[in-house]
Amino acid sequence: MTARRLVALLLAAATPLAAQSGFARLAGRVPPPALSAIDSILVAAHREGLPTQPLIEKAFEGGAKGVAPDKIVLAVSTSADQLRVARALLREAGEAQPTDPAEVTAVAAALSRGLSPELVGELTAVLPGEPTGPALHAVADLVGHRFAEDSSVDLIVAAAQSGLRGLRFLDVAAAAVQELQRGRSHAAALAHVKSLLPNVPPPPRPAPSTLSRARRVQPGPDRP
Amino acid sequence: MMHIDPQLHRVLDGELPSDDLTPLQREQSAALQRAARLLAEAPVGSVAARVMAEVRRPPLRLGQRVAQWLTERHAVTIAVRPIWSLALAAALAAIAVIPSRGPGPVLGEQEGIAQFVGRFPDARSVEVVGSFTDWRPGAVVLRDDDHDGIWRASVVLPVGEHEYMFVVDGERWVADPLAGRYVDDGFGRQNALLFVRPLAR
Repeated sequence: MTARRLVALLLAAATPLAAQSGFARLAGRVPPPALSAIDSILVAAHREGLPTQPLIEKAFEGGAKGVAPDKIVLAVSTSADQLRVARALLREAGEAQPTDPAEVTAVAAALSRGLSPELVGELTAVLPGEPTGPALHAVADLVGHRFAEDSSVDLIVAAAQSGLRGLRFLDVAAAAVQELQRGRSHAAALAHVKSLLPNVPPPPRPAPSTLSRARRVQPGPDRP
Repeated sequence: MMHIDPQLHRVLDGELPSDDLTPLQREQSAALQRAARLLAEAPVGSVAARVMAEVRRPPLRLGQRVAQWLTERHAVTIAVRPIWSLALAAALAAIAVIPSRGPGPVLGEQEGIAQFVGRFPDARSVEVVGSFTDWRPGAVVLRDDDHDGIWRASVVLPVGEHEYMFVVDGERWVADPLAGRYVDDGFGRQNALLFVRPLAR
């Protein structure tokens, strides 16, 4: 093998590795002792086909909050595990291969909010081929207000069967919470909102005045 | 207008002979007759001549007529009841006095508005840091213009789920007590959660 061919091979191998690595993005935002371990997690996630943006965000978050390097690594690793579980749930529910990164992220977020994998799997099975993020978010909202998990999933499933989709699931959860705040019991609030389906009122829209835009660095399509 | 003696008037009209006038009246009569001759000799056309001159002038083109109409003065009369003129004046005053509130930035289909409100009476600065800024501080600053301790910001964000925390005085991380949705951040704290809806529904 000539030297020129060896250099070409090394370059060919290095380019995808550089693309998988988030080292450049992490530098300056994450404590240096954590960089290497987090970069390894990112490279592994990328090879497995998992979305890496949530992992990078978790590392940024730890750096911004001044968290100790080992705790940042642990949090990023835990997030990667949740993404794996989320993808497995979606595959069990019959999602296409490779699984949509946005869906994996949404399911992982629901898991991190405390929903059990069984209920997440049940809900994703009700909405095959559709975005499940808002539905999961709605169930998590209900559970966060101490509605029973089973009953919360039942309400959102009923909403789906009545034809509601997407962000309207959030309206359903918001309506139930509102009934709770008006003094109804949890069971009565769920029953009342179920009787309204699919005509649940949307929340009021804020006026677009005195607005500013949040600045965010958008990741490139190939960057993890 | 100059006053003319009645007797002089009658002489000028030919009703009396000029012999009946005094020397002074005769001088006045002569002056008036000279003036009358001058007026008769002046090259001022008669009314009929001026009318005929207007008739003989070539007609104006449409553009010239419009230009003439626009540049000439016209008397315009508007009959308005006083109550309506008062209402119009009030409306104009209201437009001038009421500050106009701009519509803000134009939102895309995949953008919505998030409103952040927090009560921090003793804070010198409050900002929101979250996943929508890659957790980079300094992007979304809340304001307390009336110094009542309530800090506010309205921000355009991408549609979807976002995690965030307030940062008070640049160092104290605080979960939004009004968020209603929280998630463990993995570092021993809780992030607030918000789900931004598209405004253009």
